[in-house]
Amino acid sequence: MTGFLLLLSLSLKRARTLLIATGLLLAAFQVLLVLIAGSIQRTGEFEQLAALLPPFVRAILGPAMASVMSFGGIVCLGYFDLAIVIALLALIIALATLPASEVETGFADLILARPLRRHWIITRTIALVLFSILMMLTLMIAGTWAGLATLAPEGAQWPSPGMIGSLALNLGLLMLCWSGIAMAFGAACRRSVAGATTGLLALTALLLDLTGRLWPPAERFAWLSPFRYFIPFDLVMGRALPVENILVLWAIAMSGFTLAYFLFSQRDISH
Amino acid sequence: MNTSALPPAISIRGLTKRYGPLTALNDLNLDVVQGEVLGFLGLNGAGKTTAIRLLLDLLRPSSGRAFIFGHDCWLEGLAARERVGYLPGELGLYPDLTGLEVLDFLGGISRQPVDKRRRQELFDRLELPHSDLRRKLRQYSTGMKRKLGLIQAFQADPPLLILDEPTEGLDPLMQESFYTLLKDAKQRGRTVFMSSHVLSEVERVCDRIALLRKGELVLLSGMEASRRLAPRRVRVFFNEDVRVPPDLPPGHEFVESSPRTWHLNVVGPLGPFLTVLARLPVQDLEVQEARLEDVVLKYYREGAP
Repeated sequence: MTGFLLLLSLSLKRARTLLIATGLLLAAFQVLLVLIAGSIQRTGEFEQLAALLPPFVRAILGPAMASVMSFGGIVCLGYFDLAIVIALLALIIALATLPASEVETGFADLILARPLRRHWIITRTIALVLFSILMMLTLMIAGTWAGLATLAPEGAQWPSPGMIGSLALNLGLLMLCWSGIAMAFGAACRRSVAGATTGLLALTALLLDLTGRLWPPAERFAWLSPFRYFIPFDLVMGRALPVENILVLWAIAMSGFTLAYFLFSQRDISH
Repeated sequence: MNTSALPPAISIRGLTKRYGPLTALNDLNLDVVQGEVLGFLGLNGAGKTTAIRLLLDLLRPSSGRAFIFGHDCWLEGLAARERVGYLPGELGLYPDLTGLEVLDFLGGISRQPVDKRRRQELFDRLELPHSDLRRKLRQYSTGMKRKLGLIQAFQADPPLLILDEPTEGLDPLMQESFYTLLKDAKQRGRTVFMSSHVLSEVERVCDRIALLRKGELVLLSGMEASRRLAPRRVRVFFNEDVRVPPDLPPGHEFVESSPRTWHLNVVGPLGPFLTVLARLPVQDLEVQEARLEDVVLKYYREGAP
C-alpha cells in the first residue's frame, strides 16, 4: 500500500501542472460562457442565434434546441461543447496510457524490480484518472457557479444544480468510459498505439452516434457508441440522467479496467 | 563464511525464454553462491539482459524456474525482490524529477530501510554532491545518471545486487570508485550478479564468470580456472640459430618462428617445454600471463564447447 501511495503521489506531482492548468482554463471558460449568455440575454437575441444554426445542427439538437439556445443552455455549453469534450478525452487518454509510457521509458523496470505488485500500477492509474475527472468537473462547476454569482444578469433563469450535476456526471462517466478503453490498450501496447487506437475509436463512435441522429437507418447501430449514452441535450431540457446510461458507461469503464489488470499482469515488461 | 550451507543467492533451473521462433534464452542452469561476485558475459543479444529481467519478473519465462535466496521469482516475487538492488542497463528516469526525488521515491518503495549515512557515503564516493542531486535530471550527463543508478541500487545495502552493465558511461575515476564499492559489498557478504562487456573489469572484480552465447550457457568457471583455459604466450630468444624441433609437447603451438626467436602459445604446464629448451642455447624467455579475454574471445569466435 505504501508503494501504491508513493506511486500515486509521484504521478499526481508530475501531472499537477497539466491538471491545474486545464482545470483553471475550463473554469475560466465557464465564466466566459456566463458572460456570453448574459450578453445575449440582455439583448434578447437567443431566437436570432437559433435561426443562424445550420439545419443539421438543428436536427442534432432536435427538441432540445430551445433549451440549448437559452441563458441556461449557453451557460451549460461547456459540459457538452465538442471541443471541450475532445480536449477532456485527449487528457484522460493521455493519463490512462501512463503504464505504457512507464514501460517504454524503462521507469517500470525500476519500480517493478522492487517489491511492488504489478496491479498497483493499474490501480494507481485508475486513481489518477478518477482524481483528474473529479478535479476537472469540480473546477468546471466552480467556474459555472462563480460566473453565475457574479456575472448573471438579473432575471436570467439559472440552470438548476441538478441539471449541472447531471451534465457533470454524464461527462465524467463518458471520460471514465474512454479511460477504461485507453487503459486496456495501454496495458498491452505502446502508448502511441494505444492513444491513436483509442482516439480513432472515439472518433468513429462519435460519428456513429451523430450519423444515427441524422440518418435513421444508422440508428440501429448507434447503441454501440458510448456517445449514445452521453445525452446532454436531454439533460438541458430538464430530464434526469437514466440509470441505464450510467450503467452502460460505468460497465464499459469497468470492463476496460479489468482487461487492463489482466493484460498488464500477463505482459512482458520490455521496451 | 561457510557458504555451502546457505541456499544460493540465485538459483536458475532450465530457464527458457522464447519470442515466437526466436529463443532468447535456452535451458539456463546456474547457481550464484551467496557472497560471490559473478560476472555474466556475452555478446550483444546473447541473452544476459533477458536472464536478468526474468529473475526480476519483468519478463515471463517460457519454461523453467528461478529462485532468489530460495524464493521463487514468480510465485514469491515480492519476497525475492525485497532482497535485490537492481541497476538496469538503461535507466528510465523522468527528466522533470530531481536526483533526490528519484532516490527517495525508489527507496520508499523498496521496503528496505535506507540508512542516511550510508547514502551520504555513496554520494561522497561517487562524487554526486547535494547541489547536483537537487537539480532536475534533464540537466544530468550520462555519467551522472549512471551514478544515480548505482546509488539507487546500493542505497538500501541489499543482500543481492543485480547490475546490468554497471560501468557503462562512467569515467575511469568513477569506475575505480565503483570497484571499491563492489569490494566493500563483497566484504560485507553481499552477492553481486553483474553483466558486463568489459573483460578487464570482470577479471578484476569477479570470482566466477558465466558466459552466454546465443542464449546458452557455454562456460561457467572460476576466474583462475578460466584463465587456465587460455594459452600463455611464450617467447624464447636464442644465442645462436636453432632448428625448430619436429615435435612439441601437447598443448604447445608455434605462432611464429625464426632461427633465433620462437613465439608459442602454451596451454597447460610449461615443464615439458623447459625440458626441450634445456638442450638449446637459450638467451632469454618471456612468459605472458594467460588473459581472460583470450578465453572469452575464443568462445565468442570459435564456438568452443
